[in-house]
Amino acid sequence: MNLLVLAFLSLALGFIFNLWGHPAKNEPIPLVDLKFTETNTARMSASDLIRTGGDTSGLECYACHDKKVAIKLKFDAENNVILPKEHEDIVMGHGSHKRNNNCFNCHDETNLELLQTRDGRQVKISESTQLCGSCHGPTYRDWEAGVHGRTSGYWKRDMGPIDRKGCASCHNPHSPPFPGRQPAPGPHALHPVTAPVTTHE
Amino acid sequence: MSCDPSNCKCPPTPEVNRRSFLRSSAVLTAGIAALAASLAPLRELTDATTMEQFLQKHYKELDKAEMAKVLDRITRDVERQYQVRPHVADYKPMDGVEFVYCLNLTRCIGCRKCVHACVAENNQSRDPEIQYIRVLKMPHGSLDMEKGDHNYATDKVPEKGFFYMPVQCQQCKNPACVKVCPVKATWQEPDGITVIDYDWCIGCRYCEAACPYFARRFNWTKPSLPKDRINLNMSYLGNRPRRQGVMEKCHFCIQRTRAGRYPACLEVCPAGARKFGNVLDPDSEVAYILRTKRVFIQLKEEFGTSPRFFYYFDV
Repeated sequence: MNLLVLAFLSLALGFIFNLWGHPAKNEPIPLVDLKFTETNTARMSASDLIRTGGDTSGLECYACHDKKVAIKLKFDAENNVILPKEHEDIVMGHGSHKRNNNCFNCHDETNLELLQTRDGRQVKISESTQLCGSCHGPTYRDWEAGVHGRTSGYWKRDMGPIDRKGCASCHNPHSPPFPGRQPAPGPHALHPVTAPVTTHE
Repeated sequence: MSCDPSNCKCPPTPEVNRRSFLRSSAVLTAGIAALAASLAPLRELTDATTMEQFLQKHYKELDKAEMAKVLDRITRDVERQYQVRPHVADYKPMDGVEFVYCLNLTRCIGCRKCVHACVAENNQSRDPEIQYIRVLKMPHGSLDMEKGDHNYATDKVPEKGFFYMPVQCQQCKNPACVKVCPVKATWQEPDGITVIDYDWCIGCRYCEAACPYFARRFNWTKPSLPKDRINLNMSYLGNRPRRQGVMEKCHFCIQRTRAGRYPACLEVCPAGARKFGNVLDPDSEVAYILRTKRVFIQLKEEFGTSPRFFYYFDV
């Protein structure tokens, strides 16, 4: 009997002072960086820049070029175009096999502030989607249907506007494939993953 | 038991004297004390169900006035817990609308932005973490989900030789999760969204076990939701903060899509891999995709769940 009293009392004390402690807590999960929830596009196109009132000085070709002087492209031994120092930021990566190596495949030779489609139309740089469509027909058809590319806004058109982005809002015209990017953090497992998960057989 | 007192073989009745009484009382008191002490964690229970909540009817039985009261109660609850005033509404399905989601496996780059946009939009718990979308990294040439890895942590995506397949609630036409619910806390709405009434769910997790897509999540603890990250545009069947002990899952951003907008995961996708719309409208993007694209019909087709979530390829 006395033993029983003692056992119960010690149990009560144990519970009150929480002698067993709480179960070990997992490491706190940090809040995700807000850059991963931003809905901005991969890049700013010329038309985005004009619309948002950004710095458009890069689109004023004749601030440096002379209208009367025709431009001669220079090529190296491997038939790659040699970019002048002023245009060094351009990565020539449009198309495989280095065949799309001529600036004037897209830019208009006679007016540098315009683009020239494959069928000879002149379009503004802010309307570059027209130019892209003159080569990439099936993709342009999908884009027109709203199936290729970024959309946001309202799926129900009578309730609000839909916002459709042009090609250059996501793709760099000089190097269209998406560059690699840092992925957002993955799921935090309740129990840490000890061995790396392999996908090989 | 009858005893002849003259010839009694029964054991003598134990006599209750002062000593034995005190002793057994001490044991009893100590026992009760131990029991009470062991229940101490109950003191930490602050958000007990109120009588109002307890007596609330099932969602489908609420009339307009009752729903207004419920929404008001939810507004007050959120305000008390998070010190912010939300806009809580009950969005109803539209006529002639059946939602379908299409995801382009050729375009997905595995950046997981959709996962976190979803968490932000739908007020999921941050710690412990609840996410509706899992992005599987899959080796080229296979659609075997056993080979998928959702824990990838490389510096750059996409990686050569892999494609990425985000998996979330497939909003099945024949949902296994709805069939197993013993209390009808989850059901399919006329526009195709399978919803959960968080006030009716008893947390038995049958639906979690029944779902072949690992789409349902359980709130093991009280969800932690930082005040500055809360989305104030809330809906009853959608993203209002959940309680401990209830299930939740993707509901196609009901508070956005039933107001005509695109879901959050679609708007954040940098690759434009996600497409959403009304499949009953022949001019919608999803109708165009199902008509013209190479659609890998449905995930785990053999279960007969008939998802409204389609994976497709360009080319």
